[in-house]
Amino acid sequence: MKKTIYLVVFLNFAAFSQNKYLTKTGSVTFQASVPAFEEVKATSSSTTAILDTSNGAIAALSLVKGFRFKNALMEEHFNENYADSDTYPKTNFRGNIINFDINKLTSVKTEMRLNGSLTFRGEIRELKNVLVELSRNNDIINVSGTFKVTPSEFNIKIPKIVRDKITEFIEVYFNFKLQKK
Amino acid sequence: MKKWISILIVLIFGIYLTYNYIYQDHRDIKTERAEFSLSSIALFEEFTKNAVNAEKKYLNKTIKITGPITEVNANSITLNNTVFCVLNSLLQSKLTIGKPITIKGRFIGYDDLLEQIKIDQSTILN
Repeated sequence: MKKTIYLVVFLNFAAFSQNKYLTKTGSVTFQASVPAFEEVKATSSSTTAILDTSNGAIAALSLVKGFRFKNALMEEHFNENYADSDTYPKTNFRGNIINFDINKLTSVKTEMRLNGSLTFRGEIRELKNVLVELSRNNDIINVSGTFKVTPSEFNIKIPKIVRDKITEFIEVYFNFKLQKK
Repeated sequence: MKKWISILIVLIFGIYLTYNYIYQDHRDIKTERAEFSLSSIALFEEFTKNAVNAEKKYLNKTIKITGPITEVNANSITLNNTVFCVLNSLLQSKLTIGKPITIKGRFIGYDDLLEQIKIDQSTILN
């Protein structure tokens, strides 16, 4: 079933390939650091993102193992105990930029809103009205934004011993430099 | 007195071990021995047959892949249009499209959106 959805999305993009902007090295960072404790922060710089400029549809996919922490042990715990990345190796987002119009984009950042669904650890969560900043330089469109999630939304239990060291809301930043294909 | 010194030594040793455990080094893919060594065509074929099983087999493993270069960017190389390798550092030498190359890196997953295999922390072997 999942495969069919991906296929449909893929074919959809392929059919409008002249309107397709993509990156394979998009950056996604999440941060849950509490001051005075060790930094809880990881970045994936190999996220794939595709924007269809004919309708504002956007899709992104990060491989969970690709999130790198400063601390190797923290990275291991994240993968094994929290993200369960052996069972759920991918996290993805699929959505739409509201009232997207490529002609509105200039080299100056424009604010728009984004709706869509985020899948992580097999759980789906709707994201509504996420503020995104877009700018365009010829064949490159920059999309960046931030949103907040909580571990419980994805059925992740934080043990008592580390609860004080991780913020309740996890901030996620994304930055995609999309190139016309 | 002697007792206190030995307790202190054990304590310092304990702290030392704990510190080393908490602040252990990241895996060094560059110096790790590759668990699998195969061509980009053979690797991709396994994914066209059964992407889920193939992903399980290679996930987080260090692998060596050989194939023709189809795309080069500042910090990434694509082999055979199907294996996307993010490099450890920025590309130093100029690479020719079409030339075969061997890359060692860590398999991080299969990208369904682009139907590509993703490798990170890659180094060029030849």
